[in-house]
Amino acid sequence: MKLFINLGRCIACKACEVACEKEHGISFISVYEFEDMAVPLNCRHCEKAPCIEVCPTNAIKRDGDGAVIINEEKCIGCYMCSAVCPYAIPIVDPIKELAVKCNLCADRRKEGNLPLCASVCPTDALVFGEINEIMEEKRKRKAERIVEAQRKAIEKIALFG
Amino acid sequence: MEKLILGLCPYCGMGCRFYIKTLNGEPVEIEIYEGGVNEGKLCPKGLTALDFLRHNDRLTKPLKRTENGFEEISWEQAIKEIAEKILEIRDKYGPDALGFFSSARCSNEENYLLQKIARLLGTNNVDHCARLCHASTVAGLAQTVGAAAQSGSYDDIPKAKVLLIWGYNPAETHPVLMRYILRAKDNGAKIIVVDPRKTKTAWFADIHLPLRLGTDIALANAMMHVIIKERLYDKKFVFSRTKGFEKLIKVVEEYTPEYAEKITGIPAHLIREAAVTFATAGRGIIMWAMGLTQHITGTGNVKALADLGLICGYVGKEGTGLFPMRGQNNVQGACDMGALPNVLPGYQKVTDGKRVAEIWGVEELPSEPGLTIPEIINKAHEGEIKALYIMGENPVVSDPNTKHVIEALKELELLVVQDIFLTETAKYAHYILPAAAYAEKEGSFTASERRVQWNFKAIEPPEEAKPDWEILRMLGKALGLKFDYESVEDVTREIALVAPQYRGITPERLKRDVEGIQWPCPSEDHPGTKRLHVESFATPDGKANIIPVEFKPPAELPDEEYPFMLTTFRVVGQYHTATMSGRSKALTKRWGEAYAEINPKDAQKLGIESGEKIRIVTRRGSYECKAKITKRIGEGVIGVPWHWGANVLTNDVLDPEAKIPEFKVSACRVEKVM
Repeated sequence: MKLFINLGRCIACKACEVACEKEHGISFISVYEFEDMAVPLNCRHCEKAPCIEVCPTNAIKRDGDGAVIINEEKCIGCYMCSAVCPYAIPIVDPIKELAVKCNLCADRRKEGNLPLCASVCPTDALVFGEINEIMEEKRKRKAERIVEAQRKAIEKIALFG
Repeated sequence: MEKLILGLCPYCGMGCRFYIKTLNGEPVEIEIYEGGVNEGKLCPKGLTALDFLRHNDRLTKPLKRTENGFEEISWEQAIKEIAEKILEIRDKYGPDALGFFSSARCSNEENYLLQKIARLLGTNNVDHCARLCHASTVAGLAQTVGAAAQSGSYDDIPKAKVLLIWGYNPAETHPVLMRYILRAKDNGAKIIVVDPRKTKTAWFADIHLPLRLGTDIALANAMMHVIIKERLYDKKFVFSRTKGFEKLIKVVEEYTPEYAEKITGIPAHLIREAAVTFATAGRGIIMWAMGLTQHITGTGNVKALADLGLICGYVGKEGTGLFPMRGQNNVQGACDMGALPNVLPGYQKVTDGKRVAEIWGVEELPSEPGLTIPEIINKAHEGEIKALYIMGENPVVSDPNTKHVIEALKELELLVVQDIFLTETAKYAHYILPAAAYAEKEGSFTASERRVQWNFKAIEPPEEAKPDWEILRMLGKALGLKFDYESVEDVTREIALVAPQYRGITPERLKRDVEGIQWPCPSEDHPGTKRLHVESFATPDGKANIIPVEFKPPAELPDEEYPFMLTTFRVVGQYHTATMSGRSKALTKRWGEAYAEINPKDAQKLGIESGEKIRIVTRRGSYECKAKITKRIGEGVIGVPWHWGANVLTNDVLDPEAKIPEFKVSACRVEKVM
């Protein structure tokens, strides 16, 4: 399971940030807004996660849903995870002074709920699920558009020859 | 003990549901309700809708202004003194020296009671802030299609093949509605956005038309010109269901795209493309909001859009409709309840109040239409309005020309403000009455798609604060009116008797069917109405009136002294005068600071760097904020969010028909603050 970013659907409303902050005290997701689009960015929970590889105390592990989780008991706050992260995700927890990041709402998932950011996102710019299923759904829509365009083209030929 | 109570969002007019989790009666957090029009989704304001409830600034006791500032006073004493003063003023100067501002933030029951008090005291001087948002819609739609409401449902949006989004920026103002809009786009709909700014909504547009401020009619007329010339209009619909098309043909004749290009600044080929795209889609919806309505030609603007929808046959069918998008959780309901100077509940004209008078058990009701908000402010200024009762409104921030509003409030012999916080307006009151917030009371609210939903009580109000309907019940009794309602449900039942559209909407049904009922609902076994105008229009002969309008320029245009045009807008993380949203840390840290948008070329000419402090000056006032340099706004235009007091700048000139002020266009100059 992944938290997939549906690029081009974000309206920069920051509901994800606010939801994350309500759930965890700090927001582990950030929305970056530009003049023509916006993108929400949080831990990608990489399959070959450099943070897991580099952590000297094995504090970073993957859970059953595939989420990459930092165990704060084992974290020593060396921030090597931050150093190697391709998306610059792990940050300093201001109280514990240890590395923290998105855990895909581990507590919510235990109760069968979605990560809160995906749950609230008004436009489904964030969706939680299997990548292949999400892509299949998107591909089907693209196919529908192709068929629609083709039908219009045929109609035009029928009308004007 | 933990409890989950179904909540109804107190912010915009979307009508989103969520759960309020309480612990021992105190609000703890918002939880997701997987249903409702929002399908479990929430925007940042909905997510923080508990933040202001237990805020230290809440008003908790009635206050009276004395020489030593505000002093606490008992409810009994406050209501007694207010009632006596109201009656004294009425007897001395006549009932029309009284004014009442009702509230789009309060329930149907509360709006119903306030307008009833006004009318039983003998005046129709009751209005609410719909005057400042959709008054022109109410007037424009009443004349064309006969019903001043969103004609279809949100569910129609994904079924449309074209969405014409005009002066409306749902990505900021109704984020959850963007869900429906993007679903339409997924289904292949084309999106046309008309807005002088490249808004976040315009990010999703196939065609964006950044018109010059206030040139909407010229653009709409040119689109209709193209549609008529190219014979793309719906002939069957036009001839069977409308009248006035011939007059329209004559008026739009001169609005060639080339002529409109000169007025609007939109290239003629883009106008043609938009017109053809719109008319040939087969199913279309026109959505609009303040960018269209807040002009001196506001009513004309609405008529032009109604005409455009009508000639394409985009009314009363699946995936079509005229959608004025409502900004407040109960602005539709406050209008429905007759918190307007010219209509009684259910839009029954005050000139014909016999039916309502009979139900209320009185001989007669005042039959002259009353004054609107801007007129009440002007008359207070002139000393003709002596007492003003304001429930849940903040005109000092929300109304145009702030200085003028404050001067008017200072003239009053009696100003009562009933609110949850000590607003900028309350500071000028003689009496302040502490009201309960949404989660602390019960009642019904009507969302943008005419959906009436029950608001359940989750927590107790702080200290002595009371639900607005209870305060009005006390006031009504003290005024000698027969206000013996035992519960809020009694009021809901009376509304069903008085307002024909609400005939079958009972409190029992609303509490059972928590997702609400869409009016008109003529009987208790009626399921409600998803779509208006399906077979006939709500006009006397059942036909829609196509009413052509001519373009007129805005009241204030740039000149040497004020070379820029100024417009206002809103941001997603604040709400109107920020009374509630401004008290959420999660919101203020993200959306906490006033700014003005300025085009890079203009900034360069003025030597302004991003983030520098600037002063914007109009004929009415000056306002300082940070400059945000962005290509989102065109050259020669300054855009300011109005949450932080920018209405000191705006123009209070009115649309003569709907009396809506021209918030959206002023002339201004910009100075660097040294």
